[in-house]
Parts: sequence; structure tokens; C-alpha cells
Amino acid sequence: MIRCRVYSAVLALVMLGAPAAGNPASAQAAQSSAPIEIEYVPPAKQYLRPVYERLKQRKVLEQLRDFLSPLRLPVTLRIRTLQCDDTNAYWAGRVEGLKLCYEYVDWVERLAPAETTPEGFTPQDAIAGEFVEVTLHEMGHAVFDLFNVPIFGREEDAADQMAGFIMLQFGQDVALRTISGTAYTYQQQAKQSNWSRTTFADEHETDEQRFYNYLCLAYGAQPATFQRFVDSNILPAKRAANCGREYRQIQRAFLKTIMPHVDQEVMKKVQAMQMLRPDDGIIKRDYAQ
Amino acid sequence: MRARTSVSPIVGALAMLSLAGQWAPVVAQDLQNSMVDIAYVEPNEPEYRPIYERLKKRQVLEELQQFLVPLRLPRKVLVQVEQCNKETQRYTEGGPVTICYQYIHELEKFAEKIPADTRTARGVSREDAVVGGFVQVVLNGMSQAVFDILEVPVWGREEDAADKLAGFLMLQFGTDSARRLLNGAAFFFEASDRTWTGSDFADTRGTEAQRFYNYLCVAYGGDPKAFKDFVESAGTGMRPGQPAERRIDLLPQRRAERCHTEYNDLQYAFNQTIMPFVDQAALQKVLARRDWLRSDDGK
Repeated sequence: MIRCRVYSAVLALVMLGAPAAGNPASAQAAQSSAPIEIEYVPPAKQYLRPVYERLKQRKVLEQLRDFLSPLRLPVTLRIRTLQCDDTNAYWAGRVEGLKLCYEYVDWVERLAPAETTPEGFTPQDAIAGEFVEVTLHEMGHAVFDLFNVPIFGREEDAADQMAGFIMLQFGQDVALRTISGTAYTYQQQAKQSNWSRTTFADEHETDEQRFYNYLCLAYGAQPATFQRFVDSNILPAKRAANCGREYRQIQRAFLKTIMPHVDQEVMKKVQAMQMLRPDDGIIKRDYAQ
Repeated sequence: MRARTSVSPIVGALAMLSLAGQWAPVVAQDLQNSMVDIAYVEPNEPEYRPIYERLKKRQVLEELQQFLVPLRLPRKVLVQVEQCNKETQRYTEGGPVTICYQYIHELEKFAEKIPADTRTARGVSREDAVVGGFVQVVLNGMSQAVFDILEVPVWGREEDAADKLAGFLMLQFGTDSARRLLNGAAFFFEASDRTWTGSDFADTRGTEAQRFYNYLCVAYGGDPKAFKDFVESAGTGMRPGQPAERRIDLLPQRRAERCHTEYNDLQYAFNQTIMPFVDQAALQKVLARRDWLRSDDGK
């Protein structure tokens, strides 16, 4: 058995702002208007079993549910982790709900670097940050749907903006870890992608564009925290000059279209919760030989 | 599925299409617009002088003013054509909307790739390329100004949102005008030979190929029947009956399947955020006028 790095399912929550597990009072206070149903569906494939066990043990979905509790949901929200036979995650509509695939989590873990990269991306953040990103991105699609949010631009970009915006609302540490992990993932995917002309017809932007978009939103929100990405020219100065404006655009969109559906009192309780614990993102994991 | 209101598309708001258009004095008197200031700034470079003269003679900006009459803006915005120190001048908060002579010059050069009196495989004439490209850049800039002035919540990249709103507006003026405008606008992006690498992707705008497909998608999503020739036949990358040597870029099936939903989302966003600022009576007057584009525009 090889002891490897871990993964913070929790992280998931992190972002999700979930209250610390084992805090019944806060969790209870954070009940939403319509229920959120969660389920860890056991995978049939054995190699996904450890992922399933870790997510369950870490109570990722319980924390996600609490994190989402300030939302005044119009209908029951169903959230599942499951084997999808596809490396992905989905907002599958109001009936099927949010599907987080074990295959995607497994892929993220394997994509993580063995050690901290020259850009400063750590293995732990690569795993935790991307898990948070994919969860928030799909939750973005969910809230756009559930609250009938008007979207002028491209919805896939909007879901990235939603994910990035939320990552940036929980302080410097959470912002840096989640954005860095996300940036690492898109950087790596970009190296593996081969875009031809017709693939630009895709509704998603290229991995390179998503890499820069996340960094730009982060720099626009917290310039001091992310200054090093500009200093090292990872985020070009020309783009960086526009990032404050881009962040304000998303902030305005969030305040106008999402905030009316948020219970302010419950949100304050959620915001007061500890989002990331020092050991989050570092769960011991054993890989079978 | 999102709930949608079935408000009629209005474009009116912008009829900005005004690029062309015979000036009807009655309409002009009827539609006074005190919130849009315009300016033709004389270029320093003699090279741009003919463009300046043509735009002024054609009263392009006056028409734009008229088109914008239905839009109740809470503050003034200046729209100007001028010589910039680069090809495009991005709108910044507070304005103005600036269209650069350099961009129009570039547009005309691209259009010359189409031999006179011929059309591309997708049916774009040289004149359409000029008119569509010009209207695209004007509407894109005005859209950003509208987002700013009306404090519209914009999800998605602002440049894409402005392109989508521009395409949406182009569609509201009847099938023939819409085809000229959207085909022409798409041509400019299609004809670009720019290659993107590395940090080019940090640009606030999408690649030319992405913008090209976005315009085709708005057109097809808004009117699948009229623009079915914008979609490739299943698996071939070609339009029906097209000889292999004349293969052209069209919307792949996979994207085309989503265009109607994308269009509905766009219409919903317009109705929710901009329509409340549109004077319906003035809008009807603007929509009643069908000669915003003239047959000789773009020559």
C-alpha cells in the first residue's frame, strides 16, 4: 500500500461553505425552504470504491447541503455522488438534480502534481480546488435554472464565474487554495487539448481561456492575494488591467439575480462557519498497488 | 426548463442598425432622441478621410440616434467615429462608444477578399460584409454602453454578451436584412487569419472562430427555418449539395442542437433586463420602418 496525498472532499465543502460537521445547531439553523436531498450512491466499479468511501466519510454532501441552506429553493434539490461511466459532473435538471461523478474525482486526484509546481500549485490544492470548482460550476447551472436567472453571455462561462465568485467570498486562504487548484487543472488540460477550428464552436471556452478567466476574476476581487500571478506574468498585465471591472460585473450580476433568493440571516450563520480546516484537503489515502 | 415570458422580440431598442437607411423626415421629427449624442471626429490621417466623408454623408450616426429612441436611457451617451491609436477602442464605464476609422478600413480590406459582384459559398457579398461588419461593431459597442448605463446584470463574458445582443437585434428587422447583417458580421470573423497561441487566450474577447460560430448560432437559434443553411449536414462539415472543393465552415450539428435554447435564453434576458426600459409606442414606430438597410449600402 502506498500512502498518498489526499484529498479533501471536504473541500468540497469548503466552498460550499459548509458548516463544520458535527455542529447540529448551526446545521439546523441553516435549513432551506425546500429540502435538499443528498445521496452517496455506491459504485459498481471497485476502483471507485475508495473515492466513494472518502467522500462519505468526509460528509461532503452534508456540508454542501448546509452550505446551500441560505438559498430559498423553489423545489427539492437532489444532489448525488455516483458512478456515471463518464468523467464528468452534471446539473441534470430539476428531477435528476446535481450529479457528481466518482470518475471525475478520481481523474482530478490522478491529475494532481506529485509536488508543488513552479507556479506554486500544490498537490493538495489541485485536488481540493478542482473538486470545489466542478461542484460550484454545476451548482451555478442549478441556480440559474432554479431561479430563472437571465444570462446574456454564454452559460458555461457564467457557471465558471459563479464558481469563481463564490470561491472568493470566504477569505484569502480559501480563495488562494481553490483558485490555484482550479488554475492548475485548466493549465494541465490545456496541455492535453488540441483545438481545431470547428472545436471553437463548442459552448465551453478553451481550457486556456478558462485558466485566465479564473485568475482574472480572482485578481479583480483580491489584487494583493493574487498579485504574484501578475508579477510573474502568468496573468498578462493587459488582461489584469481589466480584472477589477470583470469582478464588479459578476458582483453586480450576483447581487441583482441571486441575492434576492438568499436568506440573509441564514447566510450570516453560514459565513461565520469555518470553511476550511487546517487539515482539509489532506486526507490520507491508500492506493492499491 | 426556465420559465420564459413570451414577449415579442424587440429589438427595437436598438434599431441601431441604422447603418443604412433613408432618412425619412417625418420619422426624424417623430423620434427625437436627446440622450444619444453623436460626433464624427475628423481623422488626422488622409487615408481615413474617405471613410469619414462616407459615414457623414450617409448620416450613419443620425440613424443610430433614431434607432435608439425607444430606449429610455437615464443618462446621456456619446457615440462617435474617430481615428484611434489602435483598431478598436473598448467601451469603458461612462463611455463614449467609439468606432475607429482603422477598424472600418480593416473591414473594407477584408471585404475585398470577396470579388465584386460575387458571393461566398455562404452567400455573403462584398457589400454585406461591409455593412454587417460595421453594424456588428456599432451594436457591440452600444450593447456594452447599455449594460453599463442601465446597470444590466450580465452573466457570461461581457464581450460575448454584447455580441449576442448585437446578433439578437440584427434578427429583429426581417429575414432579408437579418441575413445580410448576420452573414456579413460573421464573415469578418470567418475571414480572419489570426492564429491564437499561449497568452493570446488571455484576451477579454473570444477567438474570431468562437465569435463566428456565436453569430451563426444566434441566427439559427432565432430562426431555424431561415438559417438552416448555416448548419452543416450531419457529419460532413458541408452544406447540403456543396461540392467538396467548396467546403465552408458552418455550425457543427452538436452546437446547432443547442442554438434554439441559447436564443431563448438570450430573448429571456433581453425581456427581463432591457425591455422595461423600452418605450413601446416609440418601438412600434421604429419597427414599422423597414428601410433601415438600403440595397446600395456597403458599396
